Amino acid sequence: MKRLWGATALLIVLLVASLANAWYSNTLTQHLAQQLQQAQQLAAQGQWDRAVQLTQETYRHWNSRHFYLHSVLRHSDTDQILRSFRCVMQYLELEEMDQYAAANTDLISQLELLSEMEQASLVNVL
Amino acid sequence: MFTGLVRTIILYILIIAGIRLMGKRQVGELEPSELVLSLIIADLASVPMQDFGIPLLTGVVPILVLLCMTMILSVLTMRSVRFRALLCGRPSIIIREGKVDQREMARNRLTVDELLEELRGQGFTNPSAVKYAILETNGQLSVLPFATQKPPNAQQLGLEVEQTDLPLVLVSDGRLLERNLASLGLDRAWLDQRLAERGCSSPGQVFLLMADRKGTVYLARKEFSV
Repeated sequence: MKRLWGATALLIVLLVASLANAWYSNTLTQHLAQQLQQAQQLAAQGQWDRAVQLTQETYRHWNSRHFYLHSVLRHSDTDQILRSFRCVMQYLELEEMDQYAAANTDLISQLELLSEMEQASLVNVL
Repeated sequence: MFTGLVRTIILYILIIAGIRLMGKRQVGELEPSELVLSLIIADLASVPMQDFGIPLLTGVVPILVLLCMTMILSVLTMRSVRFRALLCGRPSIIIREGKVDQREMARNRLTVDELLEELRGQGFTNPSAVKYAILETNGQLSVLPFATQKPPNAQQLGLEVEQTDLPLVLVSDGRLLERNLASLGLDRAWLDQRLAERGCSSPGQVFLLMADRKGTVYLARKEFSV
């Protein structure tokens, strides 16, 4: 009987951990995407310095979760986002609005897709 | 390289621990569900071992889930006969009173060659000598011959035979197993005497020494040291 309860408890722990991971990845990526969108609006208003500052802050936030991201997500996906961040920051420094807007939108959609993959939904199961 | 090494160690320990938790039966006799489990676990473990681009958790979590499911199912099969029949199936009688049940063979996808091979393996060349042949849920064929085909035992022959005791290993490859010595109610003096009788001065010179409660001793000296 101990084994039954032990196994059931471990299954519940794993289920709760997977739901917590889905919630956390969604919260994290939403927050990052919001900051990136805000930076894009600032750049559109010509406030390039503030846009750079906000994007760098977002990048640091992403990097500070490196251990978590590498533990639960495919490394190729997280590496792709890292590359996109560097690309966005480069366009920001060059103050190239068209290129920056395209790269930033691409980065935001990558973040959204990453979170979507972790969600507990029927679509993902199928 | 380092990642592969550490991951392999972690996954190996996890699988060994899981198989130990499932019990000894897993190693020798596999039920259908256990066979499936072994195959899936082997596959799940090998992917994160080789592909460092995948988090270790993607291998560990499914393995843990499978082990938990197996544990739950094994407890449920012990508690419910119906559930056991559903999960493990029921034994099938392939030969009844010397007659082969062809429908049952077809149902279990057992060919004539396989049946004859199993019978030969158990010392029967003809199904007519078999009263019952039962295909167990683990895939083994249990063969029960007609009484006339069975060798007589001591009781049937009216013979009095001495019961044999279970011999225990006292020295294994030069190492003295004191627990076994004590469980036979023997001591070191007894052991030293037996060793001296066979020209050994210490357990280190012995490859295998077994004894039972009646004092029957089997001793094999070490022929070489590794």
